[in-house]
Amino acid sequence: MSKYTVEFKGTKEGVTIYCQENAGFEEVLLDLAARLKQRAVFFGQSKVRIDVGGRQLTEAEQERLADVLAKNSKLVLAGVQTSAERTAEFSPARRRGETDDLKLENCKEGRSIVIKRTLRSGQSIHYPGNVIVLGDVNPGAEIVAEGDIFVYGTLRGIAHAGRGGDRSASVVALRLAPTQLRIASVISRAPDESALPNQPEYAYISDDRIMIAAVSTKFAL
Amino acid sequence: MGAVIVITSGKGGVGKTTTTANLGVGLAMLGEKVVLIDADIGLRNLDVVMGLENRIVYDLVDVVEGNCRPKQALIRDKRYDTLFLLPAAQTRDKNAVTPEQMKKLCAELKEEYDFVLVDCPAGIEQGFRNAIAGADRALIVTTPEVSAVRDADRIIGLLEAADLGDPKLIINRLRPDMVKRGDMMDIEDILEILAIDLIGVIPDDEKIIISTNRGEPVVANDNGSLSGQAYRNIVRRVRGENVPFLQLYKNSSIFSRLKKIMGLSG
Repeated sequence: MSKYTVEFKGTKEGVTIYCQENAGFEEVLLDLAARLKQRAVFFGQSKVRIDVGGRQLTEAEQERLADVLAKNSKLVLAGVQTSAERTAEFSPARRRGETDDLKLENCKEGRSIVIKRTLRSGQSIHYPGNVIVLGDVNPGAEIVAEGDIFVYGTLRGIAHAGRGGDRSASVVALRLAPTQLRIASVISRAPDESALPNQPEYAYISDDRIMIAAVSTKFAL
Repeated sequence: MGAVIVITSGKGGVGKTTTTANLGVGLAMLGEKVVLIDADIGLRNLDVVMGLENRIVYDLVDVVEGNCRPKQALIRDKRYDTLFLLPAAQTRDKNAVTPEQMKKLCAELKEEYDFVLVDCPAGIEQGFRNAIAGADRALIVTTPEVSAVRDADRIIGLLEAADLGDPKLIINRLRPDMVKRGDMMDIEDILEILAIDLIGVIPDDEKIIISTNRGEPVVANDNGSLSGQAYRNIVRRVRGENVPFLQLYKNSSIFSRLKKIMGLSG
C-alpha cells in the first residue's frame, strides 16, 4: 500500500494522477511535489490529468495544484477531474446520452447497418445487428437481422428480425406489406387479399404471435 | 462507334424477340446500320420472326468458334439493306459461347454498326450472362403481370451488379380495358416496384401474332396498328428523341397521371 496520497496511473487517455479521497489538501500537495520530483524524468512532457476524487476545489486551490505540477516537472496539465465526472464519463447511461432530465428505459443498443437503396428480388442481407433500409424491399428480397429491422419505404419482401432468438425484436416499415414476417422463431404471413396499408406500422411478438400495430399508438414493446 | 443494347426480361414470352425485331427494323427504316444478334442458342426465334430462317448458313457459334468470319454469318434483311441478323445455333446450347467471346464479338461489331441489338434468352443463367456481357445499355421488357414484374425486378438487380445500371423499361401487352376494370396492373403499379425509367408502352394487339407468322414486324406496316406506332415511338426514344406517349387510356385522368410520371407536362 503506497504511503503517498497521490498515485500515478497510465490510462487510455494518458497519465492520470489520482488523489486519495480522505487525505487533506495540503498533504496531497506535498506528496504531489515529492512524487513528481521522483517521477518527472520518467514522464517527461506528457499531458496529465489530475483526479481530485470527491473534492470540490476552489479556483485558488486548482491554481496551487497547477503550480506544484509546473515547479516539479515538465508535465502539461490537461485538466482536473472529479470522481463525479469520472463515473459520468464511463457509465453506460452517460454514454447513451442520458442526463438527469431524461431516463432511457426500454432501450436497446446494438450494431446497425444503414442501407441507402432499394433491395430487389433475389437480393438478401444477413446482418448480426439492426438493419435500416432507406428504400423499398421488393418481393423476393430478404432481410435477416439478429436485431430489429426498419424499412423507410415499402416492405414487400421477407423480413426476419431477432434471428438468434431475440423475441423483443421488431420490424417497422412505412408500409408494412411483407410476403412473410418472422421474429425470432415465430413466422407469420399477411392475410390473403390485404390492401396496402396507408400508415407506418410495426410488428412485434405478443403471446407467441406476431402482432401489428400502427406506429402512432404507444409502442407495446 | 455504335451502341450495344441488350433486350432482356427474366420472364419468358413477354416480347423480347418481338421487340428486338421491331426495334431493329424501325432503326433501319430511319437509315441506321443495325445488327441483331440472337443469343438464345438452342431455341432460336429471331430468324423466324424476321422471316429469314431459310437463309441461315452460319450462326453465332460458328463465329465464336472461328469456323467463319462474322461477315459471312450476317444475313441481310429482305427489305432494309442496312439491317443484318446474326442467328443463333439451333443444334447447340448456351454453353457453346462464353461471356468473353460475346464481349469480343460485340466490340468488333459496334465498330462498324450504329446499333447492335442482342436478343437475350429468358432466365438468369449462362444465356443471360452471355447476352449482357458485351452490352452498353439494357432494355427490360415486362408484361403487366405480377410474375413478369417479379422477374424483371430480379433482372434489374443482376444488371446493377453487372454495371448495366440504368436500364429502361418497356411494358408490353397492356390491355387498357382490363386496367380500367381493375383486372390488370396499371403502369404506375409497375413503376412503383421497378422504379426505372419507362421508354415505351405497347398495347396488346392481335396484329403482332399475324406479323410474327408472316415474318414482317408491325413497326414497318402502315395499317394504323397501335402497337406498330408504339414501336416506332420507342425507336425514336432509343435514338434520344423525347416523344410523347400514346394515349392508350380513354380516361383522361389516368392519362394525365401517366404524363406526370413521365415528366411531360401538358
